[in-house]
Amino acid sequence: MTISVQAEPINIGDEYAALVGDAPGAAVATFTGYVRDHAGDNPVSVLHLEHYPEMALKVLQSLGQEAVARFGLLEWRIVHRFGSLSVGETIVWVGAVADHRGEAISACEFMMDTLKTDAPFWKREQSPEGTHWVASRGQDEQRRVRWEQGEGG
Amino acid sequence: MSITIKLFASLREALGEAEFPLALETLPEADVVDGAASVAAIKSALCTRGAQWQEALNQPNLVHALNHKVVYVDAMVADGDELALFPPMTGG
Repeated sequence: MTISVQAEPINIGDEYAALVGDAPGAAVATFTGYVRDHAGDNPVSVLHLEHYPEMALKVLQSLGQEAVARFGLLEWRIVHRFGSLSVGETIVWVGAVADHRGEAISACEFMMDTLKTDAPFWKREQSPEGTHWVASRGQDEQRRVRWEQGEGG
Repeated sequence: MSITIKLFASLREALGEAEFPLALETLPEADVVDGAASVAAIKSALCTRGAQWQEALNQPNLVHALNHKVVYVDAMVADGDELALFPPMTGG
């Protein structure tokens, strides 16, 4: 039931092993987000992630706790990176352990949807033409609002 | 009596500052009630710094976080508080 905000690459094997431990729950779901090589039609070579460290820790911790309250998780983990990331590197990894698959899968979706709009990280994409800040997407906000309306949970 | 202002991402870049103290005494007297001022009053005070500040701080989706929690512009900011201003978040 922990978080990590780190510059280092995410070791998914280690994270999974630590999440599951010696006594796995019945259902384990994880999600991994990677740096894409494009944004729409534009190529992306490097992704810069700025963050607000103190607030990021608090927000991620509280959304993990909310996931426990909603889905009765046995274990959870959120790992988010900051700094300069190359194409194909991991940006984010979330994992959830529950008694049943529905709760574990929904919890990962909830954590990702909430994290996207509530955790203070900002992406800046670098392409051969220069760099630009990524704009927030209405689509992400809609996915977030879904959980507030209780449809997703 | 002073608060800490933090700016992030495109806002930090546009204004060329990441973090600075702001003395509440520098705000109009009417805006300070029992040693605290609203986020809106603080933004107005910062807007007097120039056209760039006005433009950056009046963008419609600006997010305000008081002591690491997102708040509306009517939240009251007191001595020692940290007020962060930034564009919508785009992590994940």
